[in-house]
Amino acid sequence: MTDTVLQFDNVVKRFGDRTILDGVSTSVQSGEIVCFIGPSGTGKSTLLRCVNGLETIEGGAIRFEGTPVQAKQRSIIDVRRRIGMIFQHFNLYPHLTALENVMLAPVIVHGENRKTVEERARGLFEKVRLSHRINAYPAQMSGGEQQRVAIARALATNPHILLFDEPTSALDPETVGEVLAVMRDLAVEGRTMLVVTHEIRFAADVGTRMVFLDGGKIVEEGNPREMLAAPRSERARRFLSTISNAAH
Amino acid sequence: MSAQLLSYTPLLLKAALVTIWLSWLALLIGAVGGTLVALARMSTFLPLRLLALLFTEFFRSIPILIVLFFVFFGVPLIFGLDLSPFAATTIALALHATSTMSEVIRAGLESVGKGQWEAARAAGMTYWQMMRHVIVPQALRVILPPSVGVYIATLKESSLASIIGYVELTKTGLLIRETMGSSFVPLLLLALIYFLINYGISLGGAALERRFHVNTRLMTAGAGQ
Repeated sequence: MTDTVLQFDNVVKRFGDRTILDGVSTSVQSGEIVCFIGPSGTGKSTLLRCVNGLETIEGGAIRFEGTPVQAKQRSIIDVRRRIGMIFQHFNLYPHLTALENVMLAPVIVHGENRKTVEERARGLFEKVRLSHRINAYPAQMSGGEQQRVAIARALATNPHILLFDEPTSALDPETVGEVLAVMRDLAVEGRTMLVVTHEIRFAADVGTRMVFLDGGKIVEEGNPREMLAAPRSERARRFLSTISNAAH
Repeated sequence: MSAQLLSYTPLLLKAALVTIWLSWLALLIGAVGGTLVALARMSTFLPLRLLALLFTEFFRSIPILIVLFFVFFGVPLIFGLDLSPFAATTIALALHATSTMSEVIRAGLESVGKGQWEAARAAGMTYWQMMRHVIVPQALRVILPPSVGVYIATLKESSLASIIGYVELTKTGLLIRETMGSSFVPLLLLALIYFLINYGISLGGAALERRFHVNTRLMTAGAGQ
């Protein structure tokens, strides 16, 4: 009943002589919300960036909806057009208004009609609760607002999967909640999401699967609540106790 | 004497237009060439990067007059191709403008944060879509101010054309001076005309910058990364 959207097959990524991803294999089914957790520098973000070819891989293979993801090939553009990405630092286009940010890709990349796109964009602003900020420039908005615009921008092309790269890490604490709330809404809609995050509570509440990475390897994966309650590996147990201490 | 000078006014105006046209053409070629060289310098292909670096350093280090001599006297010798003084001057100025503009454009493109390139790529844009809609609009605010300076420099350097006998503004002034018994007045007049043209360009550039500034103010924070 489920389709495999994404398949990682023994993925290896190196920066120079440093191995960032050391043989990662897993797959993502349609409708899954997979949260990647783990200590800093263990390759969580890198893994996410390999999915849409922002990084090249040195070994193994990634398949997205059956297509091999090859960062240097022209085919990558077709892959990217079906993927939405949300960055830690938002990366909104500063020379465009919020509305123009959301409309750009559907109009120029997907060649959609401007009117249709604008209508859909307005709906997306409602969804992320920013209808009143439609004509603001990114620099005029708070971090939380910018990130919600970035989510609307990612949704505008009707992506088959959403990649969240530490979406709340650059936010002021008081705006984290509003971004997580929007992400919860998306989860309820049944969207396929890959989330790199340090928000353990969010991962436990919303995630359908939790993947713990350490040293470029998947150490443990499974049901988030079960994993939080009783991690099987020593490393996951230590990591989870550190961050749950920090959270309280 | 002033009556005589007055009768030369149409001649000087025409010469001023020739100078403006000549340097504008060189700047345009320099902007296009500079863009290509800047992209080559940012390429991932090492030989291309080295070639662009060599080009930039070469033309930055050699006096324009020498380049002009090479083009005007050298090209006919080597390629058997006779160049008019106008063509030779345009080429020499354009080569120099290209090397200067390539640095200006590179600085502009590199001022656009890595996150912008990634956001555009992640959205599935082709290289040219990304350049046209995301990178260049942001780079322009960095590229524009020094470009005005390059245009002014090119316009002043175009006076070198008088040495190979091309009748632009300086040469016209010198010819007029000869008919007036080596008077000093035509030189003063020349300086005044150059000043007026370049001051005009400065003002125009400043107005253009102000128009950009409205947007720049809106897009300062949260842009980078």
